[in-house]
Amino acid sequence: MTTNTTLNPPTATGQSSAANAPLIDMKGIQKRFPGVLALDQIEFELRPGEVHVLFGENGAGKSTLINVISGTFPQDGGTYTFCGEALSNLNPYRARQIGISPVFQEFSLAPDLTIEENLFLGREISKGGVLNKSEMRTKVAQVLDNLGFDLSAKQRVAELSRAQQQMAEIAKALLHDVRVLILDEPTASLSERETERLFEIIDDLKAQGVGIIYVSHRMAEIKRLADRVTVLRDGRLVGTVEAELVSEEKLIEMMTGRTFEAMFPHIENRAGDTLLQTSGLTTRDRLVDNVDFNVKAGEVVGIAGLVGCGKSELARAIFGLEDIESGKIELMGQPVTRPSPAHMLKRGLCYFPSDRVAEGLALPRSVRENMTLAALDLKAFASRGFLKIKSERRIADEMIRRLTVAPGDPEKRVEFLSGGNRQKVMLARGLERDVKVYLFDEPTVGIDVGAKAEIYNLIKEMAEGGAAVVVISSELPEVIHLSHRAYVMHRGALVAELTGEEIVEATILAHFFDRDHLDEAGEPPLQDAG
Amino acid sequence: MSDQVNVDASSGSGFYKMMMGFFASYGFLPVILVFLYLGFGLVEPVFLTGANAQNIIEQASYLIVLATAQMFVLLTRGFDLSLGVVVSVVSVASAMVMVSIAPEGEGPVILALTAGIFTALVVGATAGGINGICVAYFGINPFVVTLGMQGIAFGLATTISGGFPVFGLPDTLINTLGQGATWFGFLSPPVGVCIIILLLSHFVLNYTVFGRSIYLLGSNPRAAEVGGLPWRRHNMMAYVLCSTIAAIGAILITARTGTGEPSTGGGLVLLSIAAAVAGGVSLRGGEGRVIHVVFGGLLVSVLSVGMNLARIDSFLQQVVLGFVVVGAVFLDRLRLRIRL
Repeated sequence: MTTNTTLNPPTATGQSSAANAPLIDMKGIQKRFPGVLALDQIEFELRPGEVHVLFGENGAGKSTLINVISGTFPQDGGTYTFCGEALSNLNPYRARQIGISPVFQEFSLAPDLTIEENLFLGREISKGGVLNKSEMRTKVAQVLDNLGFDLSAKQRVAELSRAQQQMAEIAKALLHDVRVLILDEPTASLSERETERLFEIIDDLKAQGVGIIYVSHRMAEIKRLADRVTVLRDGRLVGTVEAELVSEEKLIEMMTGRTFEAMFPHIENRAGDTLLQTSGLTTRDRLVDNVDFNVKAGEVVGIAGLVGCGKSELARAIFGLEDIESGKIELMGQPVTRPSPAHMLKRGLCYFPSDRVAEGLALPRSVRENMTLAALDLKAFASRGFLKIKSERRIADEMIRRLTVAPGDPEKRVEFLSGGNRQKVMLARGLERDVKVYLFDEPTVGIDVGAKAEIYNLIKEMAEGGAAVVVISSELPEVIHLSHRAYVMHRGALVAELTGEEIVEATILAHFFDRDHLDEAGEPPLQDAG
Repeated sequence: MSDQVNVDASSGSGFYKMMMGFFASYGFLPVILVFLYLGFGLVEPVFLTGANAQNIIEQASYLIVLATAQMFVLLTRGFDLSLGVVVSVVSVASAMVMVSIAPEGEGPVILALTAGIFTALVVGATAGGINGICVAYFGINPFVVTLGMQGIAFGLATTISGGFPVFGLPDTLINTLGQGATWFGFLSPPVGVCIIILLLSHFVLNYTVFGRSIYLLGSNPRAAEVGGLPWRRHNMMAYVLCSTIAAIGAILITARTGTGEPSTGGGLVLLSIAAAVAGGVSLRGGEGRVIHVVFGGLLVSVLSVGMNLARIDSFLQQVVLGFVVVGAVFLDRLRLRIRL
């Protein structure tokens, strides 16, 4: 397999007759939901050995399209041909049988089962009704080994981080013979290294003639992977283009239908007094280890680092969500002894969690109720335990206008909103009260380009209005373009502090990888600072 | 995926939209209720008389009070298995207090009633407080906590009463709160108390921080914590409120039977959960309104009165109710799917 005879990849699959015929050919696809035309006249083609990126804002119809392709719901109109055969009555089970393997953003793993059990869920290998455990075990080990992911087959899914769950999902998709692999924002929770590993796997699969549908907002990934890009907007096809022949600006123009503007605003640096400062902060689980960190009024401080380096835990510890073992936190010159979310909010520090669904929002409740979720202690919304619904409505309306939440109905359940709009609903909590320090944890994960730009502008407003803003992000461009000052975190410790011109990709990455490299080379790990 | 099904979007047939909206907010229950009522009426025409309707409503009112109590903890993703025996222990304790102050209605009756009701509320609130503290502050599973409380309350109710009903309650109690009495010449007391509790509960759930808070923490406990809500306190208060409302229910039941009953409670847990869940209060927490409990209570009552009239064996009735609970949970799932 690894020899250099892959110049003519499709032959490797042994289906020479269909060598250049498309795997998937969709024409005039329509999908209607009650009240919404989700897909209108979509043409889509996937060839063997190609990475075909689906690009578009949230709500553009990407998810619906991959759901049609993978049989979750049938199209209402148009033809769907797979390997030359028209498909009808497709369902997810049959789709998998014919080799269409989707990896969705919402994970389908059973939390109480192990990785191994999950991978074979519903497709167990058995002999006469008895599970053939050893064979399954070998196969799982093989797949995990092949993928090079840091996972053990025996781990329970509930114990896995989001990134590890994502890896397990991918492993599950690849366990059986795959002809079409669908990846929906697979790198949203992966670290750079895991992402690179995933890309290598994709390259391998391409060489084997697998067709890959890849949903992503990330330009860097599109540049790295895509052969062709299909852009959708509002359920309609904008166009399919050769990736090599199209610029980033052009793609964003196609996606948004607007001219491309610089995504990142210029934020004036008017650093003032230090508002938040930690010294020797160490959490009980040591994910944050002896951290000295500060942020000043009017300043945007970025924190970069690999997934699991403790950058998120640092903010969570300050907000009172992680147990602190030792160290000091000072907020506006006053020591904080026992941080808790309620207490920190009262004192003017607001943390926006990275996982909106798990920690940020009550999805079945309305936009209005979610917007005031973290503000019910304020006089504006309640007094003596009674809610002030009128004033709550007024402020919710105001927030919807200010943050351009769509749809603009304050009574809409949050679960009906797209990622970007959910994020805006959550951010409203920081604007309703007098907040001096904002901690953003992965502020733009899983949201579309338009909403990203709006959130960057909000960060600019906050900082220029005199607040201290911390941006913790796995998206390097965010850290690079927004921060006045940036820290790099590694294994729980801050290993570098960069200011102004020093904040460039190469410098940050150097601090990411140097140490890992040394560790792997068998040398003793560097003693963490302090 | 989730933003595609807009029930209120501009196209689509009006009737379809209306039906979907109706089912999404009330479930299938009102429809089932109507069919069931008419169905029993076909089998047994007596069922459709005004007197029987009144009977159903009165029966339902006791149940709705208890189901409302249960709803407060269901909203927090918990449930209260001890509700039934708390009713027993409250009934026995308050009856004993009343009888000791004014045996057979001889003595300071008003004082006896006041003390009895006060005892009921204190005993109820205490049981709820213990449940609530264990669940909210010690993080013990509500199943385990309230199962334990069930044992404790059952033991207490039987021990203090010696296992026998407490007789000799003041007639005034039965005449003001019992089933035969009427308020303002038309309103049956249990129905009146039930309406007051429903209105107050509706107010608490929709217009107080506590009410909002239990919806939020039931929908997503982590988000409630990260949002700085005093979720532990509110979670505990839900249990206190549950047991306190159950205590009010216990007084009504005591007034109906005219005795302090150590053994009435047992079956009420299943009934209260059945009524709440069948009505559309979600076992997944965060979802349920007063109107749901009303529908659910009516359903269970229509069923049991109907089955009685149709002379269905009382043990078989239990089987039917069991199926109602399971079926209701199933329909709840279905409703969730429609919504998404």
